[in-house]
Amino acid sequence: MTSKLTIALEFANYRQTLNIQHNNLKSKVQTLLTYSINGGSFIVDLSLITFIEMLIKRKEDSVVLLDVYNNPIEITDLEDFLEEILSRYFEATNEYHAEYSKLKKSRKVHKLIDLELDDNN
Amino acid sequence: MTTTKGILIFAHNNEEIDYFKLAVINAYYIKENLGIHDITVVTNKFSYDYNVKNVGKEFIDNAVSNIVFTEKDKAFKNANRRLYKDTSHTNKTLPFYNVDRCDAYDLSPYDETILIDADYLILSNTLNNCWGHENELMMNWHYEDIMSDRNDPSLKRLSPFGIKMYWATVVYFKKSNYAEQFFNTVKHVRDNNNYYQDLYRWPGSLYRNDYSFSVAAHMLGGFVDKAIPQLPIPSLYKTFDTDDIHSSPRKNEILFYLEKPKSLGDFVLCKWREMDIHVMNKWAINRVSEELINHVT
Repeated sequence: MTSKLTIALEFANYRQTLNIQHNNLKSKVQTLLTYSINGGSFIVDLSLITFIEMLIKRKEDSVVLLDVYNNPIEITDLEDFLEEILSRYFEATNEYHAEYSKLKKSRKVHKLIDLELDDNN
Repeated sequence: MTTTKGILIFAHNNEEIDYFKLAVINAYYIKENLGIHDITVVTNKFSYDYNVKNVGKEFIDNAVSNIVFTEKDKAFKNANRRLYKDTSHTNKTLPFYNVDRCDAYDLSPYDETILIDADYLILSNTLNNCWGHENELMMNWHYEDIMSDRNDPSLKRLSPFGIKMYWATVVYFKKSNYAEQFFNTVKHVRDNNNYYQDLYRWPGSLYRNDYSFSVAAHMLGGFVDKAIPQLPIPSLYKTFDTDDIHSSPRKNEILFYLEKPKSLGDFVLCKWREMDIHVMNKWAINRVSEELINHVT
């Protein structure tokens, strides 16, 4: 019984660490997706990317967007803006994917946090 | 016309905690991660001389571009004492000298300033989102404990039915009438602390900048909650003084021991990487200070 309990508690520890690391990853992605330009701040998401693409298709080159504070921010070069937000979006999601895949494969606490230990310990 | 921008850190040592050293370590990280070389530390002669003796003037000068000396108000220092914890196992009551933080506006030599706590470690370039912002003053009421299971309602409001608590841990401001008014209001709250404590009903007898900044935010916002915009960061991430640091194995990475909420004195490990973090256990930072410094020098 004692050893079963020890294993259960170890697993609980593992799950808790996994949850914390997963939350940290989400926070990091949110950080990477915050982009400031011309005195305004934007959260890079699919709707912003799609909206900018649509504006470019309509041959708009300079527009005023509302940022996260609802301040009106003039964006003068939409192509550049799109390039920047796309690059940030993929940087964030690729990093998320790589780190998330690593987490999924890690079955021990020390592996979740990249701590080098002998696996038999 | 180019505007000047820089970081401002207040660092006054007490008998146990070397805030000045924390500020210098942080300054190395600021230079590395934000690319900002204009860093001012506001301190006193004692804290500075102690560090010149211990870490050397060159080490300080390589990180900090400007040092401003202020005279310590000894009566305040002796009266304002708080409980510092080095995990739940050790605690000490020590002087907490924070009376001059509201002078940040007058002391900052920059057009745009980010005022940070010495123990708010800059492990990313996120705060660069602030420069040139439309908002003249920004600070956060939203914070996140990186141990997401913990929840302390007393850190969300000044009192259970009170106003939202802003964190003076990181404050961005531009030299402007609005920011000047704000800091004047903070000074007014500090100078009439008892009156405002009665009015806003925060607990305890400790003078905290978080309280006076929150009251000033409430007053200047037209007596409306959350009236001052938050920083362009997702959250203000925190660990508490009951947590500890295991190591800093890589640049911009810290392994924390986070205390379990339902099992005090028991910890889980957490890897924190490339995000700024407020580390409340000052002893813990000092224990890994060599590792932290080695990554950026």
